[in-house]
Amino acid sequence: MLFLQVIVGGLLLGAIYALFSSGLTLIWGMMNFINFAHGEFVMLGMYVSLLVVVWLSGGPAAFGFAAAVALFVLGVIIYAGLIRHVMRGPMLAQILSTFGLALLLRYTAFFIFSANFVSLPQTSLSGTIDVGGILMPLAQLVSGVLAIVLTVGLHFMLTRTTIGSRLLAVSEDRNAAMLMGIRPNRMQALAWGLSAGAAGIAGALMAISYPWSPSVGETFGLTAFVVVALGGFGSVPGALYAGLIIGLIQAISAFWLGPIYKDIVVYALFVALLWLRPQGLMGKA
Amino acid sequence: MKKPSVVRPKILLLAACLLIYPLVFSDAFYRDIGVTFLLAAISASAWNIVGGYAGQVSVGHSMFYGIGAYAPLLFYQLWGWPPMFGIPIGIVCSLLLAIVIGAPTLRLTGHYFSMATIAVAELIRIFTGTWDLVGAAIGLQGPAVARGWWDLTFRGELPYYYIFLGVLAVLLYVTYAIERRRFGYYLGAIKAGERAARSLGVPVRKTKIEALMLSATFTSIAGSLYSIKTGFIDPESGFGILISVQMVIIAALGGAGTLFGPLVGALILIPLQTATNTWFGGSGSGLTYILYGGIIVLIARFEPGGLFELWERIAPARWKSGHAA
Amino acid sequence: MLLEAQNVAKAFGDFHAVAGADLSVDEGDIIGLIGPNGAGKSTFFNCLAGDTTPTGGRISFAGQDVTTASPEAHARLGVGRTFQVPATFEDMTVLDNVMVGAFLRHPHRRDAREHARGIVELTGLNSVAHSRARSLGTPGRKRLEIARVLATNPRLMLLDESLAGLTPTELQEAIKLVRRIHEMGVTIVIVEHIMEVIMTLTRRVLVFNQGHVIASGKPEDVVKDETVITAYLGHGSRRHRSET
Repeated sequence: MLFLQVIVGGLLLGAIYALFSSGLTLIWGMMNFINFAHGEFVMLGMYVSLLVVVWLSGGPAAFGFAAAVALFVLGVIIYAGLIRHVMRGPMLAQILSTFGLALLLRYTAFFIFSANFVSLPQTSLSGTIDVGGILMPLAQLVSGVLAIVLTVGLHFMLTRTTIGSRLLAVSEDRNAAMLMGIRPNRMQALAWGLSAGAAGIAGALMAISYPWSPSVGETFGLTAFVVVALGGFGSVPGALYAGLIIGLIQAISAFWLGPIYKDIVVYALFVALLWLRPQGLMGKA
Repeated sequence: MKKPSVVRPKILLLAACLLIYPLVFSDAFYRDIGVTFLLAAISASAWNIVGGYAGQVSVGHSMFYGIGAYAPLLFYQLWGWPPMFGIPIGIVCSLLLAIVIGAPTLRLTGHYFSMATIAVAELIRIFTGTWDLVGAAIGLQGPAVARGWWDLTFRGELPYYYIFLGVLAVLLYVTYAIERRRFGYYLGAIKAGERAARSLGVPVRKTKIEALMLSATFTSIAGSLYSIKTGFIDPESGFGILISVQMVIIAALGGAGTLFGPLVGALILIPLQTATNTWFGGSGSGLTYILYGGIIVLIARFEPGGLFELWERIAPARWKSGHAA
Repeated sequence: MLLEAQNVAKAFGDFHAVAGADLSVDEGDIIGLIGPNGAGKSTFFNCLAGDTTPTGGRISFAGQDVTTASPEAHARLGVGRTFQVPATFEDMTVLDNVMVGAFLRHPHRRDAREHARGIVELTGLNSVAHSRARSLGTPGRKRLEIARVLATNPRLMLLDESLAGLTPTELQEAIKLVRRIHEMGVTIVIVEHIMEVIMTLTRRVLVFNQGHVIASGKPEDVVKDETVITAYLGHGSRRHRSET
């Protein structure tokens, strides 16, 4: 029964990985651009939640919404102020831009909130429920299910709506999209907003159940790399499967080998993946 | 490119300044800044070979730095060997790692290579923290008191300063020699466009691996020098991501892919870092990295060629030294 | 026979960019490759240069099977190519660009430099030898690409629309240059849209359409060929039909 609980717990955390990784993969697929600050977006989503709870005594719905909106806006600003100018520049500038951003965000959070771990006070989602003999914290269950719903929702938005097909058109052929009257800059700004927003809300979902510090962004960023590499660069459904798999692998290796090995196993998997199949295991090349 | 003869006096002037600096500023504080500057310049110049000249942006070079840093102290702790014996062992291990990592990852281009290097460095850092033989999270220590000169454990900063300066001089000479050889031209071609380079017969993978190996060698030496001087190493100070970040930012600030770029970058960044640390005390380290992040973003956004290119663009022609007219 | 391509095919998933193309080139030939946009000419070129591995067929160069050989190996054997969109090394000077090519046969810098100087002179790039490639316009870049390939001492040069987008005067200059290179003993295969280039330069023309060679022969005969005319015009007429 304990092992089953580990598995379910891993899958629920994996669902959140899937949600923030889908944001990373969206940008990668559309612009061939890797955001090294993506994990920091998740981290900021967590602190936004904290502020909403402490200052406004908001509930999970309020801080989840706030984190999504705040990060969406930040994503658009970052695109307009930074990414737009470097994305056609030299490779060094592309990589340095978001890498520097990651440092800036991480250590600004460090400066404001200190390096200590914090956690949210009790929310309306506290407590555990018994699902067929498996004891699950309610918060983890709700967050995990919500994360899957949001990831699937993002996928449908991209594949089934007008706005989604416009985003796709820009990623397929920028010039052709322009001829169709689509403004690539707007679409790409929107993609950055969605990407950061997904990370922000994932941060909020995670903040309900786990303590964190400014340095978690680095771990989440790397986790997102692994998920995207496994799921295929640019594929949202791939990110969903891969996120669940990574969550599962982490939970099982933490259970069998000890907590410290959970990241070792995942990073080792990443290196092996890049070695064997750089284009990702499941997604389009 | 035949360079005008004004270049040589400038280099001699620079060398003279570096040579007399610790004699003029004999205060321990200033000498320490000098040593830190030299070490940063060595690391960044080593990174520059693969990250600057070949354009393969590694953000995980701490993997080589850390191996170089651990080797001297590990064999001292295990068998009491003089730390400097660890230098060649560190180089050999770094070369092996460069080959093992380079073979698959250098097939990757652009962002993929950066992602792979950062993941490998993190993997090694976390793993080192769990491995008891290398001191796990606590780390390793060097000789407290020198048993002889061969322990390279000195009281003052002065001997370190001149050793580091010597290594930097060798590295800069190697880089200069690369610039003037086929190898250097090939690195530039790979950076500018792999597909075109291959169509002209440039053996891209072999050249990239060689660049990574050369870069790893000197990065490893930099790590060894650091741990021998401080007599202490732990996972964060050896393999931490900020070690890699510092190399990248210093090279990029001065001018990635230029001979003296890393030197210029270190000349600006190290005093700046010392200043923020001194002024803001305990919270200084946080501020330092905010500053790092800000500088990196600004370089990427406005001046990807670094200060070197800015200088080339705005300085009056008679002050310029580089390109043949 | 210098180059022989038999039944070369390249498919990307379900899309057959090249569906069984043949080409044989004798030493000293100068051959044109024409066809409407998207006919598979560039993909075929990439196969010939080793830039992409064909999914079917066989290619041999100077008696050696090079079907799966790398682009570097092609260059070493003497196959040089230019790119449709010039891929010059933007931050390097023109001379340094050419030197990268020259290093293939001249490992020492002094010799490579000497060789590159000669090529720069020959291709009329002398006045911009020390400018960065990025400062050149499209015609200059195309010329630089030719110079760079020439510096590798190729036996066969594959020119991918190297003369497109030039003014009439530039075009005449460029035609002169290609002819000069040909006279030096370099075999040339050239993809081009401009019929004037094909008519004045080449002795034999292959017409590509939808991944196939649909016609070949002397340029003056080919332009009168019925299938060729429909291939070019068919594009327009088909579109016309679908609109009505």
